Amino acid sequence: MSQTPSIPEDGAPLPAPATNYFLADLPPEAELTAGLITEACQTLKRNRRRYLEERSTESLLRLLDGLGREWQSEDFPFRKMALETGPAATGFSAPVLASGLDTFFKQLTAANLEALLCQELGHARRLDDFFAGADESDPRRTALARGPELLAHVAPGNLPVPVLMEMVLGLLARSAQFVKCASRAAFLPRLFAHSLYDADHKVGACLEIAQWKGGEHALESALFAEADCVVATGSDETLAAVRHRVPAGARFLGHGTRVSFGYVTRAALERSPRETARRAAADVSAWDQQGCLSPHVIYIEEGGGPSGEAFASMLADELEAREKTHPRGALGAEEAAGIARRRAFYEVRAAHSPDTRMWASPASTAWTVILENDPVFQSSCLNRFIYVKTVAGVTQALQGAELAREKVSTVGLSATEAQAPDLARQFARWGAKRICPLGQMQNPPPGWRHDGRPPLGDLLTWCDWEK
Amino acid sequence: MTKWVERRRIGAEGLIVATSSALSLKEFALELRPRLRRRGGEDALGEEEFNRLALRLFALQHEAVPIYRQFCDHRKVVPDAVRHWSGIPALPAGAFRDFEVSSIPAGERTRVFHSSGTTGGAPSRHFHHADSMAVYEASLLPWFERHFFGAQSAPMTLVFLTPEEAPQSSLAQMFKTVRRHCGAPGSVFTGRLQPDGSWSLDTERTLAAAREAIGANEPIGLLGTAFSFVHLLDTLLAAGKAFALPKGSRVMETGGYKGRSREVPKAELRALLTRLLGVPDAAIVTEYGMCELSSQAYDRVAADPSRPAGILAFPPWARARIISAETGGEAEAGKTGLLRVFDLANIWSVMAVQTEDLAAGRAGGFDLLGRAADTAPRGCSLMPGP
Repeated sequence: MSQTPSIPEDGAPLPAPATNYFLADLPPEAELTAGLITEACQTLKRNRRRYLEERSTESLLRLLDGLGREWQSEDFPFRKMALETGPAATGFSAPVLASGLDTFFKQLTAANLEALLCQELGHARRLDDFFAGADESDPRRTALARGPELLAHVAPGNLPVPVLMEMVLGLLARSAQFVKCASRAAFLPRLFAHSLYDADHKVGACLEIAQWKGGEHALESALFAEADCVVATGSDETLAAVRHRVPAGARFLGHGTRVSFGYVTRAALERSPRETARRAAADVSAWDQQGCLSPHVIYIEEGGGPSGEAFASMLADELEAREKTHPRGALGAEEAAGIARRRAFYEVRAAHSPDTRMWASPASTAWTVILENDPVFQSSCLNRFIYVKTVAGVTQALQGAELAREKVSTVGLSATEAQAPDLARQFARWGAKRICPLGQMQNPPPGWRHDGRPPLGDLLTWCDWEK
Repeated sequence: MTKWVERRRIGAEGLIVATSSALSLKEFALELRPRLRRRGGEDALGEEEFNRLALRLFALQHEAVPIYRQFCDHRKVVPDAVRHWSGIPALPAGAFRDFEVSSIPAGERTRVFHSSGTTGGAPSRHFHHADSMAVYEASLLPWFERHFFGAQSAPMTLVFLTPEEAPQSSLAQMFKTVRRHCGAPGSVFTGRLQPDGSWSLDTERTLAAAREAIGANEPIGLLGTAFSFVHLLDTLLAAGKAFALPKGSRVMETGGYKGRSREVPKAELRALLTRLLGVPDAAIVTEYGMCELSSQAYDRVAADPSRPAGILAFPPWARARIISAETGGEAEAGKTGLLRVFDLANIWSVMAVQTEDLAAGRAGGFDLLGRAADTAPRGCSLMPGP
């Protein structure tokens, strides 16, 4: 196998779309070696110098914008492949995949990326040339940003879209990229990479996708030795293990596992109870609740208006409706047993006391709603298992979530316009990294500050020019 | 995390009911006892009779165990409407952690067995009194003898790799009963109860008993948890020693490892027992029991090579079903599901128990495959679940 792609000169006919281009395309019996990884990294860097380093922002935005539109089109071959082969490869049902991919690619527009660049750089073309930032008054001082030469990704195993977003950011930074996927989690990153290669061979030649089980020290050391920036996403243990092995000269960016919750005010619930439940169900169902942005708990303000019980019951209805249109992926016996075990626990509680109630999909583990009159944050076993907890107000909810405070990413908020600013301030000061409308929790824009950090800015290094 | 506070809802009326059904439970025990005596013979209790007894016990327990009645009410199941034992609501084993699943009034409880929890959370508790202990012993002995001794007969010198005094352990209680009924005079307990409640093993004393048996050329039985055998085998491995126990010697191992020793797959454990102690594979018996139950399952009759290892079976007075975790109905044949046990010897608590153990049905029994984990999938576990 050759990892030195031959790129035709401009104007030469392009070969048919490749299906065995990346390391991840190799048959499972093929063995990766450290030497192979090193060689692949050096090829990527060479290709970057030839094809990517001096690409204009404008042409990259055009490429990504076009790709975003294509992925939403039903006859786009890569999308078709994702929806046909995806359920078996990823464990998500085709409608859940389609909905998750549409959500992501709808946001992948030139305008959104332009906004991201302005947000991160103060001027959208500062990766192309020296410019002063929009708010920088001294015209004699300009700056240019450049990305890492080789960006290594240690990608998470739960969801595909964060990996795709990291690849987009790396591309905007003009970095060669090596994406190391968790075992059995390479399917969608691979398809996306193929779609990029198909759209632009030169850009695709600066990208490598491989998969192996985390902890293969020889392979990872070879990768980290060539990279000048390592972005890792995963559990705290994974991050600690990776950080420890990244050479001193390379930048390490870690995204740890996060949890999220919803918050619904009394007034918002009174105004549109059914719609609120529908939005909560959308957040619980998106990517089968697997992501860091998926809610574990929905806090409901009680007192007057629809009760927590009424809300939980409506949420159960909406989850059942959602199951019909966007079925949850099939689970293995162990995961299903985890849900059955929790349900058994709450069933006995519910039998004993009115403070607990449970709604559960009949004859399946498809969805479960647990209503508890207890504000303590409870991490879910996921796969559409959601806690509804009634609280007197935001103070009680935040006290209940105290143990999870450092781990909280997103708060999905349903509040009136008058209430929202004050609540947002309280959540922000408490430690939430993102506040969005309920129903949009799994739909962050590209400019979203992952873990509260500049998503693109963290990758870059600046050169200031004082004229 | 707030600890769930149990609020019992039992009024004066409930107490009267409990007293009257206590008598009936005792009558039930008297009726069951003769059926526990048969050594072997799967036909000791036919389907029809099992069904009759199970339905009767269900009705009594529905009356006498408050949390069980609440559970059945919640499911809208009343005893009169159940015609087959498989329709009796199975109380989740987790309920034994959070509630007092017992018909025995607090003042009359003389023993409590605790589960050895894996997560440091509250253990399951199973309360007993003299009558229930008598049934417990009557249930365990015939099935133990049948599997452990096979064609051979007691007594035999038995070495228990557990502490003699561990009042909250149903396993230690079982071994004391076994020693009293089946152990030759030289039988010993070589486990030690540590101040923190954990168990350790006196390997020297265990090996000394092995040497004595070899010297006398008399078979012995070694009985203990899988983790205690791993400690013993590790000691032998480290010392580079191996024993050849006399012909007719046996091993009974039970339970998981619970983080107390290195984990060794069961097949490897058996192979090591054969290699380092000289006990043939056919003489190694696996037991499955839990503190919430009063009967145990075994995987084979010792020294009877006709039965393959690993297929566990309960005595005729206890029946197992494998429940699909996904559908809650019976699992397809051979498919992995959750083990549900209907144990007629569980008279003063609840007979139908839904365990958290994964198992698959096999001809003649079931294969134990592990526990239903409560970790959030894919490394997202943040805090312990319920």
